[in-house]
Amino acid sequence: MLSLRNIAKKLPDGRPLLKSISFEVQKGEFIGILGESGVGKTVLLRCINGLTRPDHGEVIMNGDGNPEKINGKNGRELRAIRRKIGMIFQGSILVKRLTVLENVLTGGLGRMSTLRSLLYGFTDQEVEQALKALDQVGIRSLAGRRAETLSGGEMQRAAIARAIFQNPRLLLADEPVSNLDPKNTEMILDLLKPLTNQMAIIGVFHAPKLVTKYCTRIIGIRDGLVVYDGGPDIPDSMLDLIYGTNGNPCGQLSN
Amino acid sequence: MKYPLREIFRKGSGELISSEVGYKRWPLHSLVPKIGLTLLFIWSLVNLNISPRLFLEGIPHFFNLVSEMFPPNWEVFWRGKILWSILETLAMAFVGTFWGALGAFFFALLAASNLSPSKIVREIAKRCLTAERSIPPLIYILLLVVVIGLGPFAGTIVIALGTIGMLGKLFAEAIETIDPKPLESLESAGATKPQIIRYAVLPQVTPSLIANTLFRFDINLRVALFLGVVGGGGIGVDLQMAMSLFRYADALAITVVTLVVIWTAERISDFFRRKVIGQEVLL
Repeated sequence: MLSLRNIAKKLPDGRPLLKSISFEVQKGEFIGILGESGVGKTVLLRCINGLTRPDHGEVIMNGDGNPEKINGKNGRELRAIRRKIGMIFQGSILVKRLTVLENVLTGGLGRMSTLRSLLYGFTDQEVEQALKALDQVGIRSLAGRRAETLSGGEMQRAAIARAIFQNPRLLLADEPVSNLDPKNTEMILDLLKPLTNQMAIIGVFHAPKLVTKYCTRIIGIRDGLVVYDGGPDIPDSMLDLIYGTNGNPCGQLSN
Repeated sequence: MKYPLREIFRKGSGELISSEVGYKRWPLHSLVPKIGLTLLFIWSLVNLNISPRLFLEGIPHFFNLVSEMFPPNWEVFWRGKILWSILETLAMAFVGTFWGALGAFFFALLAASNLSPSKIVREIAKRCLTAERSIPPLIYILLLVVVIGLGPFAGTIVIALGTIGMLGKLFAEAIETIDPKPLESLESAGATKPQIIRYAVLPQVTPSLIANTLFRFDINLRVALFLGVVGGGGIGVDLQMAMSLFRYADALAITVVTLVVIWTAERISDFFRRKVIGQEVLL
């Protein structure tokens, strides 16, 4: 349903970050992207929904038979495609002074006419759906609270509820658990995993352990190229290659 | 061990000489600005007809004026529409602040570096705001009285213009300090720019918007009072009238009531401002 072809991106100073990344994503997959920090994992995700423009290559969304090229689109067309792609950010970016419910509702802005949303014209049905999404992540009771009063784990759950309400075909998760404690990390991933019934998920993770436990497929990136693309039973030697060490991202420092 | 400054320079690293640090031995260099300023001051005194004699002669006149002001003639409020004029001054400040704040927000969106559609638009918007600020209200009212005519409408527009200049700058600065990440998360969900402004920018800047607008309202109350004197409508007109007709007792009564009303309005806006700011500190 999504294919990336020869994605390349240079850093502002001209050094190549991504050289040529290609892979296909099928419905129901939970893909974990691994790589050293600074290898361009986040940039790759941002290239998929057009927040960053790749220098070369194509991102093609093929949802219902008609393939749509994402990169190079502007304005209305780009927004129409983005509607189908949800994104969860590192440290969960909510609008802090809006309530949790309002934050979830913003996930549906892409579907609404600008005029209706400016007049705060969310329908009862939409509010009901948003509450259902909050129910699904277990924080319906916090719906009326301001987002800034939530804990880190609760914020990330609200962000997932927003993505559920958006109802995308593809969900991009940029280090969704990087600043959570182990208990919250498991909980968030347990919430994400069943979403693969409705959508494909591409996540960027720091810890290889999580990826092998939850993901159905792993893509390893090194020096701007895909060096591993396969099942979650990734061999240690491959992790060595991806991280350039013994599989521990911090290993370089201790050596 | 005290050396003159130039000695120290010589004794330190041999290369450092007095001219490099701007030290001048020639004393006339420091005398020129002193003499210049003194001459300017004396010329101004002569030119302005300032004399101690006039001031001393004025002191009895002052007591005459004060004695004529008392007792204040409260009956002035039953003649004519004085109370109505006071309300008109309040209304001028209120509507002017409201229009000004709306215009300021619009300009701020164009002038803030993180939202502006392009560099050129941003530069133009910023220049407009600076120009608006640099023109005193007196100039505006003199022009508008010719264009629109005497009365509160001209005064209200002048207040709005002054408000745009100041609040536009403050709003733009508030917008520039917001957290950019929520904007991106809405953008990634396919939101349009107006939607992003409504749901990610506005919630973040609302407290600053309200606090600054109320602050400007306080200033505008005084501007509205002053604008009346030069033909902008409101209680200032009546005050000016009373003074030029030598009805000093009327003028005092009007002044007292006007000040009470303005102080009350200020208190109320101050209460709300504190509430808005206090809330931010708490959360």
